[in-house]
Amino acid sequence: MPDIFHGYDHGRFYDEMFAAPGRPRAHYQRLHERFSRLDSMGNLLERQRTADQTFVNRGVTFTVYSDTAGTEKIFPFDLIPRIVPAHEWAHLERGLTQRMEALNLFLADIYSDQRILREGIVPREMVNTSKHFRREMVGIPVPRNLYVHINGTDLIRDEGGVYRVLEDNLRTPSGVSYVLENRQVMKRVFPNMIRDYHVRPVETYTSDLLALLMRLAPDHVLEPTVVLLTPGVFNSAYFEHSFLARQMGIEIVEGSDLVVENDRVYMRRSDGLAPVHVIYRRLDDDFLDPTVFRKDSLLGVPGLVDAYRKGNVALCNPIGTGVADDKAMYYYVPDMIKFYLGQDPILENIQTFLSSNANDLGYILENLPKLVVKSVNEAGGYGMLVGPHSTQAQIDEFRAKIVDNPRNFIAQPTIGLSRCPSVCESSIEGRHIDLRPYILNGETIKIMPGGLTRVALRKGSLVVNSSQGGGSKDTWVLAADDHGQSQSQSQEGPEKLIV
Amino acid sequence: MLSRVANLIYWMARQLERAENTARIVDVNAQLVLDLQSRQAADDPRSWEPLVYVSGEEEKFFELYGEKVTERAVVEFMLFDRRNSSSVLSCVSLARENARCVRDLLAGEVWETLNTFYLKLKDDDFARYAQLGSSEYLNRVKAQIQLFYGVAESMLPRSDAWWFFQLGRHLERADNTSRIIDVKYYMLLPDIAAVGTALDIIQWGSVLRSCSAFEAFRRSRRGLLSLERVVDYLLRDAVFPRSVVFSVAQAEHALAQIVNGADHLANNPASQLAAALRIDLEKTETRAVIAAGLHEFLDTIQVRLNDVHVAIQETFIEYATDKAKVLA
Repeated sequence: MPDIFHGYDHGRFYDEMFAAPGRPRAHYQRLHERFSRLDSMGNLLERQRTADQTFVNRGVTFTVYSDTAGTEKIFPFDLIPRIVPAHEWAHLERGLTQRMEALNLFLADIYSDQRILREGIVPREMVNTSKHFRREMVGIPVPRNLYVHINGTDLIRDEGGVYRVLEDNLRTPSGVSYVLENRQVMKRVFPNMIRDYHVRPVETYTSDLLALLMRLAPDHVLEPTVVLLTPGVFNSAYFEHSFLARQMGIEIVEGSDLVVENDRVYMRRSDGLAPVHVIYRRLDDDFLDPTVFRKDSLLGVPGLVDAYRKGNVALCNPIGTGVADDKAMYYYVPDMIKFYLGQDPILENIQTFLSSNANDLGYILENLPKLVVKSVNEAGGYGMLVGPHSTQAQIDEFRAKIVDNPRNFIAQPTIGLSRCPSVCESSIEGRHIDLRPYILNGETIKIMPGGLTRVALRKGSLVVNSSQGGGSKDTWVLAADDHGQSQSQSQEGPEKLIV
Repeated sequence: MLSRVANLIYWMARQLERAENTARIVDVNAQLVLDLQSRQAADDPRSWEPLVYVSGEEEKFFELYGEKVTERAVVEFMLFDRRNSSSVLSCVSLARENARCVRDLLAGEVWETLNTFYLKLKDDDFARYAQLGSSEYLNRVKAQIQLFYGVAESMLPRSDAWWFFQLGRHLERADNTSRIIDVKYYMLLPDIAAVGTALDIIQWGSVLRSCSAFEAFRRSRRGLLSLERVVDYLLRDAVFPRSVVFSVAQAEHALAQIVNGADHLANNPASQLAAALRIDLEKTETRAVIAAGLHEFLDTIQVRLNDVHVAIQETFIEYATDKAKVLA
């Protein structure tokens, strides 16, 4: 019987599972043995189909709206988990906590004293020209002095296996519902392996989030009402919105369900107006309040911003966090960490060139075929150029855009993201992955162990976004570095823990 | 519950009930036409035209199909035409859209039942209807909707969502049953001399059957089929679930459940209008109504049902924010 990993191409990238051809890393050994015992690919594919069907049955879908279909797509899921050893996770946790602290201090600073601008660490011009900087919020206090509550920081591993920060998502990061559902499915498909590996649970996320949200309510409110504000059922992330609302037992509302009277927010119920104290909004700033931001927004709530300014309602995330995930601001995050915390960054950025910087601009324009160019305000894999995978025409088009508006772009060397074995049509092949942990900034900073491992299922693709043909894997953070070896086996080294 | 969500559920129920009754109205007419065939060709405009008027969509129909009223045109218009907002397909499609928006509140099977029905229905057309025969085809449509009700009944918690569902369903049913009685009225209009003849009795039998009321009528021991007895049964029977008065009483009950515990809604206009209508129906003398003009009476009932609907919207859904009760 051929080993299902036979002929696996290790490639020139960092492989999560194999240290060398045929030699799995320590924390993958148990899984490797287990999978090698499967009769054939057929057996694995059958489990893959079971998993896919479970997603359909549970309704874990993207709404691809069209009348005829009534169909919804599942977010492709890959059965082979990404395993993160305990010591690696401890390192990530330290780095992400440090980064979240610095970002919160940065936002607190630029919406009050702007010390970092006065001292010239971050150019004032950068903030003033950022599309997501909200002047209206300068000097407005926020509950518990928390200027950002939820961050989904995207991490990658480079060719050397070093974890680096790709970007921060401080507005309305999505995907956490898939993390929770992926785990549910894996528990059904591989119950024993999850137990034997001592995989850390992710299920407390929604309780942690709810606790965070409740804490943001005005002090005098003993039993706060929290709601989730969605753009509506046709939004592609609606599944996640309704999933989180159900898990937390809160009402899911649309803009038209909320009204503001005397600077207080209410939801329109069939029996009258019910006060709302905290809004977990899954709507960008621009759409929140047509009297303040985009006038044409039909999704928002007129008067909401005034109610927020007066402290009668809390918003999560607060208004204006987007200035810190502007991709040009990313460049300065290591400086922020030094400035506010007096520390060196634990997690490094990727080398980044700012086209608004004259020296960098020259380099960028000369090296476009080698670089990844990103537009500073876009997300979801839109508005980017992957130089090595682009035609001359595409490169020329981007060159013109960059020259036209240098502030709008950054460039980075093309990183060969790490790969993880993934179930492909008839074999197991390496596919590029990244990792989005979810960081909650409440009473303390809490990070769900793991996060969303996105996988570029298209062969050779480096773009993992779900809108660009990406899928996901379950992420297993191990409780201890014994790699799930049974407890009777002798343990080596001083740091080994048994949970 | 949220007003928007209550409204989605209320309309979902109304649309489904309307779809079912439209199927029933087409069914009763197809049967009446068969009964009439000895005297009239099926293509005689008088055979199918009444449906167009009873549906209340005559302007739209003549705009789309011209003056010539054929079975095919009427069936297409009433069952399959999306341009007619009251066609069975339009109603089921709208109900499904609403259900999609409130999927969280519905059990998975409830949504799936409706979705599967819609996906099948949208590919049907007159050819399919003709191939199966009207009776068989319409039975299948009715059975699908009944299936939905059955699944919903056994799965949905009796919370506000359920009572708004019941409210919409029974208000629509009261309206639709009054229209089914009206179909027969239109059929008879050109030939008032036929009252009491064998043919007349057959026709009233068909009207009862379209409401699944034939056997229930017999068991109610009201005696021979006659205009007065059948109309009285469909209008005023206190225990038959498709009678107008029963449906209004159910709507009234649903309203009582919805406002239960909310003192500020104790005397809301919707409940009051529904109660007044029920009481008037209970007091109605059918013989006198027929003598004074049945069609006009049914019209009044429909107007009053619409008043209840408007009051529901103003009380629970589209109330003015500045005057609304602020809950603790």
